[in-house]
Amino acid sequence: MAKNVLLVDDSSTMRKIVSRSLRQAGLDFGDIYEAGDGLEALDVLEKEAVDIVLSDINMPNMNGIEFLREKSGRDGIKDIPVFMISTETGDDIIGEAKSLGAVGALKKPFTPDKVNEVLGPFM
Amino acid sequence: MPPIERYITEATLEVFATMIFIDIIPGEPLKGQDDGIDSNLTSMIGLAGDLQGVLAVHCPETAALGITGAMLGMDVAAIDDDVRDAIGEIANMVAGGLKVALAENDIATELAIPTTVLGKAVRTSGQAGVSRFIVPFASPVGDFGIELQYVLH
Repeated sequence: MAKNVLLVDDSSTMRKIVSRSLRQAGLDFGDIYEAGDGLEALDVLEKEAVDIVLSDINMPNMNGIEFLREKSGRDGIKDIPVFMISTETGDDIIGEAKSLGAVGALKKPFTPDKVNEVLGPFM
Repeated sequence: MPPIERYITEATLEVFATMIFIDIIPGEPLKGQDDGIDSNLTSMIGLAGDLQGVLAVHCPETAALGITGAMLGMDVAAIDDDVRDAIGEIANMVAGGLKVALAENDIATELAIPTTVLGKAVRTSGQAGVSRFIVPFASPVGDFGIELQYVLH
């Protein structure tokens, strides 16, 4: 069954690029929703049937870490898996994200094959 | 530690091979500013920590449009927000690759948010004593360059 995805990034261009990579990965994605920051992402999660979230870390208004923290306290959406997308690779930032519920991370730049490898088990 | 120029070259090649799908050919790094690239758009990102400085991607209009079109999988006819964001994202990813390479040599850096400037032949300038170089790249959509000015503590 196709999975609906939410892309969270303050750059609309980056959302287009990631969306293109998802399509190229050959996985069975359904609707691809977009949000410009953590606040918008929470709003989308409350309204739409999202199966997987891909989120940037550095964003205005509510960053990826704050988004994870806020999401973890909301019963209806707290179990939706989140993958972080970032150039940040330090154990500290990804470790903090995972401690707040992130299930994995994609380091930019990434190939469609890498998308397949990371997201495939959750499809 | 290998020359920092090599890290910039390798990070740029990885970005173009994985997310842009354009074959690029690196040239010899040039010290100073005379890279011969007639830039219309420059994206810069600040570096802080053990290595402080600015990484800048300098693109002529044709290269900026071609690179953005390849990233998005569509024709891009004029410099717009997509082009500014796309070149800024390249600066971000190359700087991220540099950060990882430096971390393997126990040099800790942090990245700022990219800023893109439109204008002919924009060049960054820093305080006296900084090291600087530009790595020129040839591509099917035009030449571009990646500049780093830095102080290593």
